[in-house]
Amino acid sequence: MTTTRVLGFLVFAAGALLLTNPSLGAGDPAPTPRRVVSLNLCADELVLRLAQPQNVASVTWLSRDRRNSNVAEIAAGIPINHGRAEEIIALKPDLVIAGAYGAPATVAMLKRAGIPLHVLGVPNSLTDVRNQIKEIADLVGEHDRGEAVIGDMDRSLAAVVLPAASARPRAAVLNPNGMTMAKGTLLDDIMTRAGLTNVAAELAIDKYGQVPLETIVTEDPDVLILSASRDGPPALATDILRHPVLTALAGRTRLVVLPGRLWNCGGPAVVEAIERLRRVAAEAGGAEAPR
Amino acid sequence: MEIEADAISVRFGAVALFEGVDFAMRAGEMVGLIGPNGAGKTTLLRVLASLRAPEGGRVRYRGRSAAELGRRELARRLAYLAQDASVHWPMRVDALVALGRLPHRRPFQGVTAADRDAIEQAMAATAIMSLRSRTLAQVSSGERMRVLLARALAVDARVMLADEPIAALDPLHQLQVMQLLRAIAGEDRGVIVVLHDLALAMRFCDRLVLLARGGILAQGAPARVLTDDNLAQAYGVEVVRGERDGIPFLLPWKPSGQGEGGA
Amino acid sequence: MMPAAALEPAEHAWAPPHALLLVCLSLLVLVLWCISLATGYAPLDLAQALSDIANGNKTLGALVLVELRLPRALLGCFVGFSLGITGAGMQGLLRNPLAEPGIIGVSGAAAFGAVAIFYFGLAGAFALALPLGGIAGAAAATVLLYGLAGRGAGTMTLILAGVAINSFAAALTALALNLSPNPYAVTEIVFWLLGSLADRSLPYVWLVLPLMLLGWGLLILSGPALDALTLGEDTAQSLGFDLARLRLQLVAGTALAVGSAVAVTGTIAFVGLVMPHLLRPLVAHRPGRLLLVSGLGGAALTLAADIGVRILPIRPELKLGVVTAIIGAPFLFGLIYRLREEA
Repeated sequence: MTTTRVLGFLVFAAGALLLTNPSLGAGDPAPTPRRVVSLNLCADELVLRLAQPQNVASVTWLSRDRRNSNVAEIAAGIPINHGRAEEIIALKPDLVIAGAYGAPATVAMLKRAGIPLHVLGVPNSLTDVRNQIKEIADLVGEHDRGEAVIGDMDRSLAAVVLPAASARPRAAVLNPNGMTMAKGTLLDDIMTRAGLTNVAAELAIDKYGQVPLETIVTEDPDVLILSASRDGPPALATDILRHPVLTALAGRTRLVVLPGRLWNCGGPAVVEAIERLRRVAAEAGGAEAPR
Repeated sequence: MEIEADAISVRFGAVALFEGVDFAMRAGEMVGLIGPNGAGKTTLLRVLASLRAPEGGRVRYRGRSAAELGRRELARRLAYLAQDASVHWPMRVDALVALGRLPHRRPFQGVTAADRDAIEQAMAATAIMSLRSRTLAQVSSGERMRVLLARALAVDARVMLADEPIAALDPLHQLQVMQLLRAIAGEDRGVIVVLHDLALAMRFCDRLVLLARGGILAQGAPARVLTDDNLAQAYGVEVVRGERDGIPFLLPWKPSGQGEGGA
Repeated sequence: MMPAAALEPAEHAWAPPHALLLVCLSLLVLVLWCISLATGYAPLDLAQALSDIANGNKTLGALVLVELRLPRALLGCFVGFSLGITGAGMQGLLRNPLAEPGIIGVSGAAAFGAVAIFYFGLAGAFALALPLGGIAGAAAATVLLYGLAGRGAGTMTLILAGVAINSFAAALTALALNLSPNPYAVTEIVFWLLGSLADRSLPYVWLVLPLMLLGWGLLILSGPALDALTLGEDTAQSLGFDLARLRLQLVAGTALAVGSAVAVTGTIAFVGLVMPHLLRPLVAHRPGRLLLVSGLGGAALTLAADIGVRILPIRPELKLGVVTAIIGAPFLFGLIYRLREEA
C-alpha cells in the first residue's frame, strides 16, 4: 500500500512538472483531469480503482450496489449521478467517461456542450481488460498505478494452472433470457483461461445468442454457469435460470452461480472469476485444484 | 286455486303503477287481462309469474308461495310466454321448442321419451311441424310466434301466462291460437292471456280482468266487464255491439267524447 | 291436434352428431398434443425417450420430454381450452358474438393481476398467489364489464367497455413493470401482452390445473341456462333458472379459467373469439353445447399455433399471440363485415 502511495505521489509530481513544463512531456500533453465523471458501471470501477479520489467528481449510483459492483466501499465516499445530461453538465467535468451502449441522447448532448468525452468499449478478452486498465489509467493521469494493477492481475493469473488438454470439462453459460456467451466475449476467454471448453463454440453462435433450454440439456455440459441475477427480484428473464430441468441435471452437471460483477466489466475482478471456475473445472475434471 | 294474488301493488320508485290488485284463477279457466297501454298488464303478469317481486302483497300457487315451491317446481307449473319475441341465436325450431322441457330435465340428462312426446304435441298443436328443421331466421314473424308458443306448450305446465301472443299473427292464426288456448284451459289447466283485441277477449275468455287507472276497474264475466261505462273510463272509446250465433261481439268504434258529427 | 304417430319420425337434433363432434375434436387435440411433444429445438428420439421414461431411466431425452416439452404441450391444451370455453360462455351470457376474454378486457386485467403479484415477490411467498392474482384481475374486469355493459346492452357499449378496461389494464401493467425491482421486467410487457408457452415448467401446470378444472366445471354446468337465455331473461327465469346465480357462475368460471391461464402464459388473443364462431354452426347454434366444443377447438388452435412458432424459422421464437392475432384479426374483420350486413 505504501509503495502505491509513493508511486502515486511520484506520478503526481511528474504530472505537475509536465503541467508547468510542457516541453518535458514525453508526448502526452493532456493535464491530469481534476473533475472526472463516469457514466458507466465498468468505467466507475476503473476510475475508482485508478484515479485519485479528489479527482473523481462523480460516479454512477450503480457503483454503490454491493451485488453488482466490485468497488462499493470506495464508491461510498464519492458523489453519485444518475446519468442525466443536466446533472453532468452542472458538475463542470473536465473528463466524462461513458459506456459504449449508454444513452445516445445524453452522450450527444455532452459532446455538443463541448465536454471532453471518452467512450469505454466492451472488453471481449483478457487482453482487452489489460488494455482498458491502461487506457483509463492514462486518461486519469495514473499511468504507473495502472501498470501496478495489471502487474497484480498477471501474478494472480500465473498461479492458476491450466489442466492438460484432455482434462478440459465442457461448460455452458446461461444468462437471463436464455442468452449464452460464445467465442469473442470476455466470459468465453475467462472460461478458456480457467480450463473449460465453451459448449457454445459447437453451436455456431457469434459472441452472444439465445440458446433454447432443450439444447442446453442435450449438449450435456459438465459445468453449467448460471448468472447470479437468478437470485434477485423475480422476472421471467431470470426465472428461466431456475427452471426445474436444470435442477434435474444435478447428478451429471455441476451448477455454478457466477455473479455478473466478476465478468461483466474489465477489471481485476476477472481473476476471481477465473479462480472460481478453475476450482469447479478441477472438481468436474477430477483433477486437483491448484489452490 | 291455481294462482292467488292478494293486494298486489307495484311501484317504480315513488310512482305507483297499480295498487290493491286481488286476483284468483282456478284450473279450467281462461282469464283475459285487458286494459289500456301503460296500465301495467305485462307487469302484473310478470308478478303472477314470480318474475318480479311486488312492492306489496303476495302471490300463492295452490296455497304455497314461490319460495316454498322452489324454482324448478314453479318452472314446471308455470309456462311464461314473453311479449318480446327476440331469440338471440338462430337455433333450429325443434331445438327451440325443446327448451320448454328444461324444467323437467335433470343436469346432463338426455331427452326422454316423455320430452319427445311433449315436443311433438306442442309442434303439432301450433301447426309448425313442417318448419322443424328451419332456423328462426328462416321463418316469418307469425310462424315465429307460433314457435315460441309451442315452446311454452312443451312445458306442459298447469298454468300458461301469455303476454300478447297474437299481436303479430294473421286472422286465421289469431283464431287458431285463441282456440288452442281455450282448449288448453279446457284440459283442466289455467290460462292468463294479456290481450288488446277486445272482440277476441270477449269471445274466448271465461273471465276478464280490466286493469286501468291504478287498479282493477272491473273483473268477472265479459258481459259484466265490457260495459260502455267501463270501456269509456278505461280506454276512452265507444263500441258498437252485435251478435252472431248467440255469441255477442263488439267493435271499438270511435273515441268517446267525440260529437255525433265526427267520423 | 293430430296424434303423434301419424307424423314423420322425430329428428334427433340433440343426439349423435354432437357426440361424434366431441370425439373428433378430442382426437384432433390428442394428435396435436402428440405433435407438440415431438416438436422442439433439440433433436429428440421420441420413441427412445418414451421407453426411458417407462423404464425410469433419467436420460437426457427423457428429461427434455418430461420437463420441457410436456409442460408446454399440456399448457397449450389447458390454456387453449380455457380460452375457448370462456369465449363461448361470455358470448352466451352477454348474447353478443363479439364477447371474448381478450376483447372485453378480462385477459388484460388478469395479466395486470398476475404482474402485480409476480414482480413484487409475492409469488415466491405463496405459490398459489400467482394464479390467484390473475383470477382477481379477471374477476374485477368481468364484474366491471357486466356492470357497464350487461343486461342486453348493445355491441357498441360492450366494445367500448372492453376498450376502456383493456387500456386501463395495459397501462397499469406497464406501470407495475416499470416500478418492478428487476431491470429485465420492463421489456417483459411483450410476454404479458402477446403470450407464450416457452420454458414453462411442470409445477406451473399442476398449480393452475385444479383452478382451471373448477372454472371449466362452473362453465359447463351453466350450459342449460345459456340455452334458456336464448329466449331472453324473463323466459329463462320462467324456465327455472336463477339469473343472478348464472351470472355469478359465469363470472367465477371465467375468472378462474382465464385468470389462471393468463397468469402462467400471458394473454393470448382471439382464441376465444375465433373458436366459438367457427364451431357454432356445428352445434346448430346452441350455446350450451358450444361450451365444450369451443374449449376443445381452443385447445387445438393453441397447440397448432405453438407448434407453428417452433417450426417457423424465426428466432427469437415468436410470441404465441402474434400467430393467433394473424389468424384472428382477419377473422374479426370478416365478422364485423357480416354484422354490418345483418344490421
